[in-house]
Amino acid sequence: MLKTTLAGLRAHRLRLLLTSVAIMLGVGFIAGTFVLTDTIEAGFRQKFAAAADKIDIVVLPAEGEGPEEPAVRAELLEKVRGVGGVAEAQGIVRGTAALIGKDGKAAGDFPTSGISIPEGRLNRTEIVSGRAPRSAAEAVLDENTAKTRGFSVGDTITVLDSEQGKHEFALVGLFDIGVDQALAYTGAVGFTTATAAEMTGEKGFREIDVVTAGGVDAETVRRSVVAAVGAGAEVKTGAQYADDLAASNGANTTVLMVGLLLFGLVAMFVAALVIYNTFNILVAQRTREMALLRCIGATRRQVFGSVLLESAVVGLIASVLGLLAGLGLGAGALAVLGRTGMEVPSGGVALAPRTVAVGMVLGVLMTVAAALLPARAATRVAPIAALRSQVEEQTFRTGVLRGVFAGLFLLAGGGATAYGVSTGPGESALYVVMLGGALTFLAVLILGPVLVRPLSAFAGWLPRRLFGVPGRLAVDNSQRNPRRSATTTVALTIGVTLMTLISVLTATSRETFGAKLDEQFPVDYMVQAQGGREGGLPRALAEDLRSRPELASVVALRTTTAKVGGGGARDTETVGTFTPAGGFTPKAVTGSFASLGPGAVVLGDQVAERLGVKVGGTVPVETEERGAVRLRVVATFSMESSLLPSVTVAEKDFEEFFGRLDDTQVVANVRDGVAEDRARRAVEAAAQPYPTAMVASSTEVRGEFDEALDMMLMIITGLLGLSILISLLGIANTLSLSVHERTRESALLRALGLTRPQLRRMLSVEALVLGVIGALVGVALGVVFGWAATQTMTTGVIFRLPVAQVLAFVALSGLAGVVAAVLPARRAARASIVGSLASG
Amino acid sequence: MTITGEVGAWSAREDAVPAVLARGLTKVYGQGDAAVHALRGVDIAFATGAFTAIMGPSGSGKSTLMHCLAGLDTVSGGQVHIGDVELTELNDKQLTLLRRERIGFIFQAFNLLPTLTAEQNIRLPLEIAGRQADQVLFDRVVETVGLRDRLGHRPTELSGGQQQRVAVARALISKPQVIFADEPTGNLDSRSGAEVLSFLRTSVRELGQTIVMVTHDPVAASYADRVVFLRDGLLVSELAQPSPQSVLDTLMKLEA
Repeated sequence: MLKTTLAGLRAHRLRLLLTSVAIMLGVGFIAGTFVLTDTIEAGFRQKFAAAADKIDIVVLPAEGEGPEEPAVRAELLEKVRGVGGVAEAQGIVRGTAALIGKDGKAAGDFPTSGISIPEGRLNRTEIVSGRAPRSAAEAVLDENTAKTRGFSVGDTITVLDSEQGKHEFALVGLFDIGVDQALAYTGAVGFTTATAAEMTGEKGFREIDVVTAGGVDAETVRRSVVAAVGAGAEVKTGAQYADDLAASNGANTTVLMVGLLLFGLVAMFVAALVIYNTFNILVAQRTREMALLRCIGATRRQVFGSVLLESAVVGLIASVLGLLAGLGLGAGALAVLGRTGMEVPSGGVALAPRTVAVGMVLGVLMTVAAALLPARAATRVAPIAALRSQVEEQTFRTGVLRGVFAGLFLLAGGGATAYGVSTGPGESALYVVMLGGALTFLAVLILGPVLVRPLSAFAGWLPRRLFGVPGRLAVDNSQRNPRRSATTTVALTIGVTLMTLISVLTATSRETFGAKLDEQFPVDYMVQAQGGREGGLPRALAEDLRSRPELASVVALRTTTAKVGGGGARDTETVGTFTPAGGFTPKAVTGSFASLGPGAVVLGDQVAERLGVKVGGTVPVETEERGAVRLRVVATFSMESSLLPSVTVAEKDFEEFFGRLDDTQVVANVRDGVAEDRARRAVEAAAQPYPTAMVASSTEVRGEFDEALDMMLMIITGLLGLSILISLLGIANTLSLSVHERTRESALLRALGLTRPQLRRMLSVEALVLGVIGALVGVALGVVFGWAATQTMTTGVIFRLPVAQVLAFVALSGLAGVVAAVLPARRAARASIVGSLASG
Repeated sequence: MTITGEVGAWSAREDAVPAVLARGLTKVYGQGDAAVHALRGVDIAFATGAFTAIMGPSGSGKSTLMHCLAGLDTVSGGQVHIGDVELTELNDKQLTLLRRERIGFIFQAFNLLPTLTAEQNIRLPLEIAGRQADQVLFDRVVETVGLRDRLGHRPTELSGGQQQRVAVARALISKPQVIFADEPTGNLDSRSGAEVLSFLRTSVRELGQTIVMVTHDPVAASYADRVVFLRDGLLVSELAQPSPQSVLDTLMKLEA
């Protein structure tokens, strides 16, 4: 029996090849994910270990309270230095020190970080060119920032201190930021420790690094340091520190891994459908072979085993190839990530034993599981079938059981979705909708064979009329074996559903965000300090803007944070005010802004709700200058559609309560009739003297959001592309097997006068119809569940159906089907008529 | 090439030009030592409006001869004419169009497309050619083969004999210059077989159809006007107005 199976495998090499490719791609994707994340993690671990190697003990701030970054108090450094066994100790300073770009404005959306570069053994930063700073007049830049901002060693750079004062430094070197994600995000300027403390204004240290004297046990010294510093800090050995860092970074890698694996599982599921279909068809075609085996004495169990063995061998070979593909995919992804500027470890890629195990087990199990039903069907072949000359056409009837199951799933899915949508926005609602989607998909899976006939009649309406006899025959053929067509198309449906879902989500987000932006950003320009720092804009800036004839309605917003509310509702809120200007009339939900005078307050709706106050009530606010005051609520406004601070008081009150603060934001509109670019120049000219003043326009904000959305859409589309590719393999597979089954039929048609191009066209149209059916179902599901998902995102969703995109999906699916049919169609058209008539 | 369009009424074909003509026809499969000479130089003509049977022992080359005459297979040497068209010079597309316009086929089995009804199967060759069926002719053919009440059925719902009758109707409907039938009764019981053969003979007598039939059954051959005998790729004998007995006798002589 084993020999027969192996001989069968050899004979069907080509047919099983496509199946293998499907599994291979699935396993490859999953293995590639592991390879990628393993390599990244190993690289980080190695870097952390290398960094930690230089330190024996590290003193870290104890978990602090409040919004301030926790720091190690500076005086602890001397205490640590005094501990026996400590050879050297250095405090590491880290804060902000905004680098000024060549245009005179602070570089980047966020100020660069200012860090200390200690000298000697404890210097953990790697200077890649030049040298470390040695005096107060020298500084180093991270490599990336230097490159993007156009600085090189020998230049003079200007950096702002914490009071916004400008300081010039000689750029003496460039350093590698290494694995620190926060620094990589902002960019960093390095100084000597003393200069770093001066520039950043930081009083304490981010950490204190310690080297122990030779021959002393690190753990013993650690205990002494703990005793010296007391409860104010946490003390770890270098090895512990490295482990902790790697672990927290590992969490990030895990998120990436889980995300990618989800796509991998989708691909594997699609592959399983393809395998199931292939084995089903193979078994159907080999009915006579099976029957002959039964005739000469093979038991049902042996036939069953033979099919399963065949699937196991295919799964095994495909999984091995998949692992190799995964290695390649992982390396490729790393190379791509490296090009986009991400810090990528240089260590080689490798297949971890876990990757091999997961890949092999998943690949083989999926294949064998998908072949179980076909194998069972094989055992049902009666020995007498060997003697029948013609294989009977499979007939399909909608069973009661099928209808009942499909109905139940549909009901459950629809119910869950409706419930999720009705409960309103929220994460749990989204999960309920996702569950509803999954259940509905199962219903569609069960109903597939029933749906094929009407759908192909629909999808085939045009081809039937357009392509003459080949078109009509093709549409008939696509309905011929509903079960087979359904499984083939469902594989494609999965990919198209997810693609449609994503594009509906992005289109709707774009639209909704756009509308909200118009509400929230009812201004043409907004100026605020780099990173949105409170009180970051000197008042002179707003004065300058008001004096410019190109602008109208210049409004300054001043904010601070204060404790608001009493009892259990007491919490920190943004308290602020705005300078009135003509044309700026904030809208109230309840009450009126006109009543905003001394002792009055306007609350954002969400804050009012949290505090449980309405117009007419009072709210206690903790102020700097006047202590606790009670303010009368005169109006509430919608926080979603306003720039105003959530607790807004009159300008005069604000100054009395909190002192004469600078502006946080200044907004301005273009005066009617002034050209956009002239207005822009005016705003920029006003902002020019203030390096950290950042100008944003509503079009820019929208553009950035659009870009981010497009990027996400592209990445997800790319990841889903794999499952679509696999489903196309499925179509190619089904078609080539159908072509094989219909060899004699094709020969007959050729004899009756169908030309080769017509025969090819017939198969192309069949594939087109299959592709379009898959896409239609996918688009329908994607649109419905895309809509349902957007309803759970936020309130005031403006649903937008990306019609062009959706139509493109349908058209591309049909086209892809045609492409998948190219090879099978060629084979069918090439076959000799005489040979085909004689066969079978 | 003017094979499209010119189909002509059946009566117009009864002239001296043979419907099918082969000269020095050879067919070799394989090469070198493995070469099999299926046809070794066959000269034969099939008169218009005649029913001819090709007979011969297994491996005599009778099916190969038919495939070569019908343009289903390429020839190794010699010439084949269907009417005034020389087949051996045509490319695949021209051959396909020629089959479509001038040749009808009846095979031993698997004659019909399972997805189409009997009527659709009958009309298929015309539709492939983009032509309308002559309704009078359609009715007449359907009456002749007695399929009126089975037109809406699919092949799986028809008996073997009925399926072959649909195939006969399909071959007749396009008024081809010649119908090639390859063992048309090979899979039928004797009663159904006799019916199908009667229809073939009737179509020759009444419609003036030219039919070339390959068979190994002396009874089937006796329905023809003329029987030609093949052995080892050569035409070795022929009989006019055959009876089952005379065919059998000739075959016995050939086998000996």
